[in-house]
Amino acid sequence: MTNHLALPSRAIQIGLAAVLFTPTFVAAQSPGGVSVAHTKTAKANAPASTKGWTMPRTPDGQPDLHGYWTSESFTPLERPAKYAGREFLTDEEAEAVQKAGLQRGYDRTYDDPVEEPVYDSTTFGLTPALEGFAPNKRTSLIVDPPDGRMPPRTPEAMARPRAIGDRDYIEPDGHGGGVVHADTPKDIGVRTTCVSMSGGPPILPGAYNNGVYIHQNANYVVLQAEYGSELRIIPLDGRPHASADIHRWHGDGRGHWEGDTLVVETTNFRPEATFRNANPKTLKITERFKRVAPDQIEYGFTIDDPSTWTKPWTAIVPLHTIKGPFFEYACSESNMDVVNIMAGERASEKARAEKAKGASPPPKN
Amino acid sequence: MGACGFLGVVGLGSCLSPGVTGGRCFRCLTRNCCEHSLGTSPKRRFSMRLNLRHIVLGLTTAGAVLLLTGGRAIAAQGSAAAENKIPMPGQFPPYKAPRTADGKPDFNGIWQSFVTADIDVQDHDAQPGPHPDIMGAYGAWPGGQGIVEGGEIPYKPEALAQKKANAEKRMVVNITSDPHRHDTGDPELKCYSPGVPRANYMPFPFQIIQGTDTILFSYQFARAVRTIYMNPNDKTIPKEAPADSWMGWSHGHFEGDTLVIDSTGFMPYTWFDRAGDYHSDALHVIERYTQVSPYHIMYEATIEDPNVFTRPWKVSFPLYRRMEKNIQLVDFNCTEFVLDLLYGQYSKRPTK
Repeated sequence: MTNHLALPSRAIQIGLAAVLFTPTFVAAQSPGGVSVAHTKTAKANAPASTKGWTMPRTPDGQPDLHGYWTSESFTPLERPAKYAGREFLTDEEAEAVQKAGLQRGYDRTYDDPVEEPVYDSTTFGLTPALEGFAPNKRTSLIVDPPDGRMPPRTPEAMARPRAIGDRDYIEPDGHGGGVVHADTPKDIGVRTTCVSMSGGPPILPGAYNNGVYIHQNANYVVLQAEYGSELRIIPLDGRPHASADIHRWHGDGRGHWEGDTLVVETTNFRPEATFRNANPKTLKITERFKRVAPDQIEYGFTIDDPSTWTKPWTAIVPLHTIKGPFFEYACSESNMDVVNIMAGERASEKARAEKAKGASPPPKN
Repeated sequence: MGACGFLGVVGLGSCLSPGVTGGRCFRCLTRNCCEHSLGTSPKRRFSMRLNLRHIVLGLTTAGAVLLLTGGRAIAAQGSAAAENKIPMPGQFPPYKAPRTADGKPDFNGIWQSFVTADIDVQDHDAQPGPHPDIMGAYGAWPGGQGIVEGGEIPYKPEALAQKKANAEKRMVVNITSDPHRHDTGDPELKCYSPGVPRANYMPFPFQIIQGTDTILFSYQFARAVRTIYMNPNDKTIPKEAPADSWMGWSHGHFEGDTLVIDSTGFMPYTWFDRAGDYHSDALHVIERYTQVSPYHIMYEATIEDPNVFTRPWKVSFPLYRRMEKNIQLVDFNCTEFVLDLLYGQYSKRPTK
């Protein structure tokens, strides 16, 4: 059973805001603990010059990707209709998109009145400005198909029920309210219950905490998401994928170097946490990481799942350096949301039942 | 007698004696052992003769080993493996750890302890565990020897009472939307981050991934993570914990072959075991990881917390390298398994 509600709390409002304002990305809720990167001060939003720059290398000779990066972006995943047929913005348009994005951040700083602090919107809102990343001239993160939009879903995928991990506890009804799923903790979805927050693959920016820490040595690359502190440990030693009977929250990744590009192929996904409700059995995500400047990694991913999309599609998400370190994101340990959402929902049910009782005609004698 | 040949080499290497008396092998690592090897009885002469043959065989083998290993880990140092003899628990022959490309001792690998300290860091008998009526032997807890140096944790009297209260309420879980959620219940039961040093002796593997400036510890249990900052010159990394955390704020350095990790900034909510052993937010843990063979790390942790203990105390145990081909950590994301335990009281049809 689900219940219709009209925006019962500020938290839900902001949750919905995240869905509405970042329509291409995951709806980010903040259960409990919050991790905020130390950020560097604003700087000119231009990539550092690569003149005279040589690829930094680890003691093993690999390109050095180690450090703190962010996928923060104001560029939509799919190309808006107004840019149809155009892959790139002009410099002026790119600046305008950047300014508008930063402005949205500033606007968010007023979301929470002091007397009702739910999220620290000042921190979240200002993160893009503080991190200072370069404008992206692309009109969409998707670069293939060339129209910058996801290929059509297959009939099989359209008939597929939403995976529980893909569903958050509020389904917006399109009229400013939503349907709340909170009969059991499992209804609330894997993100808000802190079962698995994020971490990809692929790496895509959400509403906040878009940092990724890259750690590497000769035999492994580790990707740690700031949001949730979850790790992907990727062997580089050429070993085969884990057996098909092993399903992983972030898939089972295997990496190798193609020249100076790190290539990671990931399969063996969990059904509850498969990217965009793809088929965990057939989904393969291939990611490429190439350091192209002192402060930038060109990161791209290809989604290949013939049972979900009619053809593979590819996006490029620039990763920009940020100042570390990250804090521990102990999510479940301090998850207040589940208690509040469920207790709130029980209270609402009780209130509705009382109201219905009061409104019903007096019993006939 | 077959085992004596190689032993003979060890004898030669250490004191130039055959290392055999009365036809019985013994380990000959000190000068004193030489006097035991002299004998003239026919039986002894026979064994000496046999032994000479084995010495030749042994020397040839040892030469091949030396060639193959480039002289590292010299068999004459008394490696138990080379001697083909059961090693003495708690004793390891001298060993030098392999090095990373930047010359540091290389701790990379998947490691696991095999003590039962997660149940109780002190000596303990086997217990039925919760709900033996349905759990049977699945749920029973093994007995085991403790890991605390000297046997007892030096609690302050009032703290000992708290430990006992913790143990009594280790399965009392009442999750509220405030910090009172931490008042009762073993954090392990709730799938919370296990803290330090507990994470290292839970019955789950963990992986050390060693980079240049940082070392990551990835624990299978509850996907806990520690980042150890190894570069004291990195000004972006605060010396003091910027905020308290479950797994602590850790700086590390090498002392010879030993990785030393100093951790502070802990949440006061983690326990050391299911027996309710605990600490406050003043916890300070100094860990020493020393590689003692290609397959073992000797682990030692000094635990300080003046709010709870009368003096610092130590735990120690070996960690074992997991050697399965293509070994990798497989998710144990137990939050999934505790949702009803934590929040079932708030369900539409309460499950607890």
